[in-house]
Amino acid sequence: MNGATLHRIHLPRGATPSVSAGAEVRPEQVLAVRRRPGPPVRVRVTEALHRPPGQVAALLLARPGQAVEAGAPLARDPQGRELLSPVTGLLLGVSAGDGSALIAPFGAEDPIFGHVHGRVRAVEPDAIILEVPGVVLHGVGGTGDAVHGELTVAVHTPEEELRAGAIDVSATGKIIVGGSRASAETLTRARAMGVSGIVLGGVLDKELRDFEAIQRRRREIGGMTGSFGVLLLEGFGKVGVDPQRFAWLRSHAGRTASLFGAEGLLFVHEASPPPTRRALPRIGERVIAHRRPFQGRAGVLVAELEDLHAAPSGVPARMGLVRFEDGRLAPVPMANLEATLVAPRG
Amino acid sequence: MGEDAPVTDERPAPDAPDGEPPAEPKRPLATAEMTLLVDAGSAWTKAAVVARTRGRWRLVAHGAQPTAWGEEALRATLVARLESVADRRVADRLRQLLAKAPRISCHTPRRAGRLALAAVSDELSGASARRAAESAGWTIAVAATADDGRSLVERLALLQEVDVDAWLLAGGFEAGRADQALEMAGLVAAARGGSGAPVIWAGASSLADEVTLLFEPDAVTVVPNARPSATEEDPLPLRHALEGLLQRVIEPAGTRQHTPVAFRRSVAQLARATGRRIVGVDVGSQYLTWVRSDEEGAAESRVFAAGGLAAARQAAGGPGRLARWMPIAIDELAVADVLQNLNARPSTLPQTEDELAIVHAAVRQQLALALEADGVAGTELDGIDLLIGAGRSLAAAPRPSQSAQILVDGVRPLGVTQLALDAAGVLPPLGALDDAEIGEGMAVLRDDLLVPLGTSVVCRGGRPGQLLMRITIHRTGWPTIGPLELRSGQLQVVPLARGHDAELEIDLHNGASLGGPRRSRHVTASAMGGVVGLILDARGVPLGLPRRSDDRRAVIASWRDTFAREAAVPPVEANLAGVR
Repeated sequence: MNGATLHRIHLPRGATPSVSAGAEVRPEQVLAVRRRPGPPVRVRVTEALHRPPGQVAALLLARPGQAVEAGAPLARDPQGRELLSPVTGLLLGVSAGDGSALIAPFGAEDPIFGHVHGRVRAVEPDAIILEVPGVVLHGVGGTGDAVHGELTVAVHTPEEELRAGAIDVSATGKIIVGGSRASAETLTRARAMGVSGIVLGGVLDKELRDFEAIQRRRREIGGMTGSFGVLLLEGFGKVGVDPQRFAWLRSHAGRTASLFGAEGLLFVHEASPPPTRRALPRIGERVIAHRRPFQGRAGVLVAELEDLHAAPSGVPARMGLVRFEDGRLAPVPMANLEATLVAPRG
Repeated sequence: MGEDAPVTDERPAPDAPDGEPPAEPKRPLATAEMTLLVDAGSAWTKAAVVARTRGRWRLVAHGAQPTAWGEEALRATLVARLESVADRRVADRLRQLLAKAPRISCHTPRRAGRLALAAVSDELSGASARRAAESAGWTIAVAATADDGRSLVERLALLQEVDVDAWLLAGGFEAGRADQALEMAGLVAAARGGSGAPVIWAGASSLADEVTLLFEPDAVTVVPNARPSATEEDPLPLRHALEGLLQRVIEPAGTRQHTPVAFRRSVAQLARATGRRIVGVDVGSQYLTWVRSDEEGAAESRVFAAGGLAAARQAAGGPGRLARWMPIAIDELAVADVLQNLNARPSTLPQTEDELAIVHAAVRQQLALALEADGVAGTELDGIDLLIGAGRSLAAAPRPSQSAQILVDGVRPLGVTQLALDAAGVLPPLGALDDAEIGEGMAVLRDDLLVPLGTSVVCRGGRPGQLLMRITIHRTGWPTIGPLELRSGQLQVVPLARGHDAELEIDLHNGASLGGPRRSRHVTASAMGGVVGLILDARGVPLGLPRRSDDRRAVIASWRDTFAREAAVPPVEANLAGVR
């Protein structure tokens, strides 16, 4: 295992933490709760206190944004007459038209999960900082919610496309490692089958947008349950997972993983260090290319050309000579290469 | 650096002890006066070495590399560039000399300010406030308007969800009372809770007191209404307030070394020093900065925190709009993927011609969008003497003609405008100097400061096929060219080498205009040469494209070829491919 990684859970305004520093937390544990305000009720202050609408704001005992308790004084006139709040909720303000106070009653508590194992390092007003005993992979993009589940690999090679047919009920609740691409249909099916999340090398921007549009529509009409996240590791388009990363992910199949789609993060718990990346690779190092036509392909940097050379696009650049795994030898701008380094064992 | 590099005796030989033969005097170590100018961007770092050679300060080397490569690699790059030109006496110590050299640097802000926007109308008060905020260096993290179709509770939840640095409230015309604006203010007060983030009220002035009462004392700053009426917009006070707030909230230590600020200061100084009206555009990975300065050096800038190349995917119209501007048939899906990859890995380079074409189209689009956002009244830019392009994507274009085309097509500078490129990226670092030193730095660099691309003559008006301009080019010591006839839709590039100038006689026909207040049909103007030459452009403002995709691509390709072609005197009737 590779020490602990810090992870920040953002708390929306109005959330109340339910853990304190030093506490051990589990992925399914509620770290905070938030009571979402419901449709507002109008409290007729003008009628109760016999004041014109323009004077109501000055009579209120709470500011917009403050919580008011049912039965507690909401407004008081100079004669000491009080108006009590009929509900417990959030004071939204005063309607300028009729002078009524708008109070949004608090609804049921919404839980905020951490989705990771770990220990609470600190509780801040807008975040909970966790120490996660695991490693984190940073992706280049993603979408969806924070989810957790068992890591499982659903393709045979890093270049293989994840097909809808490869997802069945056994994938429910899991985080699936796909290959170079998944269609909107595959993503939709995965979500319908209860898959927690999908990790891909790449995906077509269009497919991802289509999937997001479908989810948005389903959310609008209601009936969508569960959470689902997608993480892209390498880039957009049909891009395979770096073979070293793929091998590392495969070796950690069965571990608990936490995927944060919108933030582009994947935590794998109790894991050995993953292959790391470094800009400006050295000769002899294993590299991964990031732009077409070699995007997502791995190889070895065999030489760096002296002086600047024009790439096929004509852009002058420092060029490296890469022997790709398929045997091709090609010049690639050094800016488009990253060294991929396997962490030493132990 | 050169033969006249000052030579110093850094280590004088000590006196010999008594009875011993005197030590052989040590050879004096040659040294060199040099200064490093560095612009550390979010994706690329640009560096230039300025050194004294033959008694003059010159730009002797420059380079750019991904910021992630680090300082040591940058020094190695510059040393490699210097080795071929450096005095042999210092050639083996360039690395140490560079390490010790004074450094003038600027950098991209570490992050953009995040703003929550609440307004009455999405299209009126909301749009005005958004434009002002986005051109003052802020990003809109969340926006809610009274007409966005959401319920009150949904708006509240939306505004509560996001972390922001400040809140911007707008709404209500000056002529009447807008209760909805007050309700939106109440909503913001509820969503903001006790976060303490500053609030700006840029709505109806009659509601300012009531809005202020909704928040704790000193939380609200009141600025003049950015949308006083449905037909009127007054964004300047709001923009200035937001610029000041950005500095207080994000960078209280000062922003002089921020690249967008430093770029504005440089452009202003250059305008003051040359007595010219200058527009500078710096297209970076994250930011797009647009500076306009008059001849007195009074400069206004717009800093689009999400206007750089990384944001091209999210730009209005998306990949579809961009794909329309490609000279080759590229699938819209591929365009979207390339733009996303540009966002995900901004320090990589386009490796294929297709990718380069997409990147250049994206730069052109971002420039055009920035200009659209700059003013409500229109999207024309006229009356400027010099247009400067800066930023890695412009400076690193394989051919200067590509940079020139991006500038001319993206900005559409009406009239006679000199074009130049900050190829070495020295303008922003120079702008980080003290006020008095900027001018000195520019005077020292003189000819090395900018790469002149040439001069563009852009007109508008007329109907397709009509004669718009008849131009005669008088060059000192060379035969007169012309008169050249430019019909609507035509584009022509005439050679005019760097260092050469010419007098242009322009006769305007069929309602053509070079912008500005001049109504004369006969105009004379001076033109400066450059690596591209004299660009005669009767394609109109804004550029129009044929509807059929094949025709459109053919026209765009013909424009590209005209710019790319080795500048040669074309026959009058040539280049009809651009005629619509």
